[in-house]
Amino acid sequence: MAAIEWGFSINRPRVIDVDRNNLRKSDEILLEMPELQSCIGCGACTASCTAGNLTNFNFRKVHTLVRRGEYQGAYEEMNKCMLCGKCRLLCPRGINTRGVVMLIKRKLGDF
Amino acid sequence: MTMNFFAPFCIPFMVGAVVMAVALVVKYARWIYELPRADKKLMLHGIFTRRSLEAIWEVFRESLLHRRIFKVNPLLGYMHMSLAFGWFLLILTGWIEVVAYLGFTYVPLQGHVFFKYFATGLEEHKPVFNFLMDFFLLMVLSGVFLAWCKRLYSKAMGMRRTTRHVLGDRIALSALWFVFPLRLAAESLTCAIYGGGGFLTGSIGSWLSAHVGGAVLEALYEPSWWLYSISLGVFFVALPFSRYMHIFTEIPLIFLRRYGLHPREKESSFDNFEIQACSRCGICIDPCQLQSVLGINDVQSVYFLRDRRYKMLTLSVANDCLMCGRCETKCPVGINLNSLRQNSRDTMRNIPDESRYGYLASVDRSEGEGRVGYFAGCMTLLTPRTLSAMERIFEAAGEDVWWADRNGGVCCGRPLKLSGETDSAKKMMRYNKELFYKHNITTLVTSCPICLRVFKEEYALRGIEVLHHSEYILRLMRQGRLKVKADGGKFTYHDPCELGRGSGIYDEPRAVIEAVGELLEAEHSRENSFCCGASLANTVINDAQQLKIARSMAAEFAQTGADTVVTSCPLCKKTVTRGTTMPVKDLSEVVAEHLA
Amino acid sequence: MERVIVIGGGIAGMKTALDLNRRGIGVTIIEKENRLGGKVLGWHRLFPTFTPANEVVDTLKAEVASSEIDVRLGTCATALTEHSVTLSDGTVLDCDAVVLCSGFTLFDARIKEEYGYGIYDNVITSADLEEMFNQGRVGLKNGGRPRRIAFLHCVGSRDEKVCQRHCSKVCCVTGVKQAIEMKKLFPEADVFNFYMDIRMFGPGYEELYREAQQSYNIHFIRGRISEASPTIEGRLQIKAEDTLTGRPLKISVDMLVLLIGMRSNDDNASLAESAGLQLAQSGFMAPRDLFLSNVRSNRDGIFYAGTVTAPKSIGEVLNEGAAVADAVTEYLS
Repeated sequence: MAAIEWGFSINRPRVIDVDRNNLRKSDEILLEMPELQSCIGCGACTASCTAGNLTNFNFRKVHTLVRRGEYQGAYEEMNKCMLCGKCRLLCPRGINTRGVVMLIKRKLGDF
Repeated sequence: MTMNFFAPFCIPFMVGAVVMAVALVVKYARWIYELPRADKKLMLHGIFTRRSLEAIWEVFRESLLHRRIFKVNPLLGYMHMSLAFGWFLLILTGWIEVVAYLGFTYVPLQGHVFFKYFATGLEEHKPVFNFLMDFFLLMVLSGVFLAWCKRLYSKAMGMRRTTRHVLGDRIALSALWFVFPLRLAAESLTCAIYGGGGFLTGSIGSWLSAHVGGAVLEALYEPSWWLYSISLGVFFVALPFSRYMHIFTEIPLIFLRRYGLHPREKESSFDNFEIQACSRCGICIDPCQLQSVLGINDVQSVYFLRDRRYKMLTLSVANDCLMCGRCETKCPVGINLNSLRQNSRDTMRNIPDESRYGYLASVDRSEGEGRVGYFAGCMTLLTPRTLSAMERIFEAAGEDVWWADRNGGVCCGRPLKLSGETDSAKKMMRYNKELFYKHNITTLVTSCPICLRVFKEEYALRGIEVLHHSEYILRLMRQGRLKVKADGGKFTYHDPCELGRGSGIYDEPRAVIEAVGELLEAEHSRENSFCCGASLANTVINDAQQLKIARSMAAEFAQTGADTVVTSCPLCKKTVTRGTTMPVKDLSEVVAEHLA
Repeated sequence: MERVIVIGGGIAGMKTALDLNRRGIGVTIIEKENRLGGKVLGWHRLFPTFTPANEVVDTLKAEVASSEIDVRLGTCATALTEHSVTLSDGTVLDCDAVVLCSGFTLFDARIKEEYGYGIYDNVITSADLEEMFNQGRVGLKNGGRPRRIAFLHCVGSRDEKVCQRHCSKVCCVTGVKQAIEMKKLFPEADVFNFYMDIRMFGPGYEELYREAQQSYNIHFIRGRISEASPTIEGRLQIKAEDTLTGRPLKISVDMLVLLIGMRSNDDNASLAESAGLQLAQSGFMAPRDLFLSNVRSNRDGIFYAGTVTAPKSIGEVLNEGAAVADAVTEYLS
């Protein structure tokens, strides 16, 4: 299937199919960083994001998708982060955001 | 007079000595061979200069006398000195003794070491040597006694905690503990049978001969020398593979360091010298706030170096460090603990993809025009009081300023580097460097000590002077361009790790504070100041743990009687604010409030 | 005659004192300010009905004035037991029971430095806005009329970074109420409420929320503001993520109103220590339980009413005043 890379995909389903997604990596990530579950999606991280100011990088969205088992492209997205740490200063839930970036990259590096 | 210098009991010692010698030669030769080209060059250029002489003096001071340990903890210093210098004097005096008795003839190694055994047939005795040898033996024994006490009860030595050792260390340690008591036993037994000896071995010997039967003494005589030899042999075999490797390794390290070698951002062969020069004394454990506040007991530098040496370093140990540098200032061997940890992280990082940060090209959101550039830093954008204070200060001084990142900029790269992503960090550094050159600035002022450090250490900004805002403000004040008025305000100051221990800037912020009010020092300040806990170097501890550190360190500020805590780092400011109910201000705010 | 000391002369304290007094129990109110009324004195109109706040406070004050309640102003309690209260001047008052109605402290918005309170002119708090309403001088610092107003919910509430984990409960509806009031005052202005969650827990609140959206065209944006910074034209630029579209959002406004939360009083800890009382993790006083003994402390003879135990709306506070009077009467008999 993946032998030919078209550069775009027309039939990638829009629905997040949690039944079909393999949640193993997501579970591993949450096991190491349970506090990530406490995200209430306020978006303060993304609003302040130094990288997000210059690109379409959206930390909140990427880690939320990863938690739903949508790993495709997450590693590449997380690589846009500069690890500057602004988001960690803002997160009202006290999530170790820089640790989350490193963790997701480590777990999904081979995707 | 001819003497036989061999007895079967010498074999364990001889085997041990040979194994140790071979291991040491192989190790050092390989490390030096594998040094990066540049390091080899530095070495060659340094050997025949006075740096070598300085190194010899330092070896005497540090490897034998342990001056730096004395400074940190006198009792611990005495323990190390009595063991190292005492043993050294025993060996040296022993050699002189042999020469004094026999003249300059060849005596094999075991002949020197077990001279008392072989020299029982001597007609004359030289009491001076008997006294000196016994005196130095007593000195070493006192050190061994203290070492026992330290193991049993580390608080007696002024240490809250001592190192937990691996098996190899325990074997070597036990052997070392027995070497000198066994030497005392063997020599005393010899004196009991053959007479002679000084105030220690001689006295014990005569007591033994008076109270113990001759047959018993004869029966114990040979075994005591066997045991002494075995303990020496075991210790020597274990030495190159245990922490006792530091005894020898500190010597080449001191020389190489004098030649200008240091750990680099990538692991290199030189690191071996630093890693194996660690004696695992555990002095780094007590200053560590992860230990004292959070009770984390397995990540301190001593454990990090141990794990790295035995190739069992895990990511969680490497990453769980504030890199505050408190342990580094206390390390008696002067090991570059932060650099080593950083280059370990480098080897554990993900392979960066080449297209990473491609989006940086052509971004320029700077504004204003001037020879002085101001780089707020990402975090400073979250402390706008600092920003507006700097604006007022620039205005008061009549400075034209180019604002590099007020509307959002690119990170300085240090956070990435601290996380081990050394190569990716370079991309940001290159971007910012080009931006600075493009706008023709001659001075670069930053409010963030994290940025400051990387600008100074890595950017190599030729033609641009890099200043922290505390330095810059003080300069303006001294030049008379910035007038401030003092009021009765009482301030205390928190040294940010990256500014103080990291960049050596302690006096400038203090001078600025003293110009506007009274400065009351907290109990731990300057080199000893605590980390606020939010260090970017640590991606392991969670928010609650950061808060706990912040609260524990901020407790000292209330005791100073000051009204306001001043710091000069946006990250510290944010964190200290969480830990105290006192108002926390950036240095620039305090200055802006006191403009005349 | 039995005597009960009520610490705090806000609406909780006054309601408690009145209900006890009505049952023939002697009451002393200790109030640290020089007037009765507490925080509600600073409010203009009350959600969700826009009832003038002074209707509530003045009624209670008048009733207290015409009763035999002993009122001591300008002094506060520094320590207490079930039989005595020590005042700041050192006097010790004896009593048969104590009701702690010392309320809450408003969150100091300067701590959230990134929002610019105390730095930029037109960043104000919800309490400041109520005061402006009361003084009839609502507007920009330079006297101008705001064309765009932003409200930010959850300032100093649900925020680990300022060590305030709890929800302050009333800010959501206050934000909706104030947005409507601003829209009424400045019909030409656009009003934006930035929120994380909108919690409309009380009667009429949800209706008010819907009214704000439908009748007043107030924009609700789901995202927490990360920073506010000044623009060249003297406005404020605020940054947030519009989390419902997943994109960063920038907007220039003339006025930013921070809906500050309720936090526990700093002296709760020392009072609790003096009397052996239990504190909740949030620093508020912990009642014996949250159901049948929610106005009783863990010590017999010491009672609670109002926001000393948690953030509450005015209606709830008044109910607790009545409930605690009942509990104290039962205890004294």
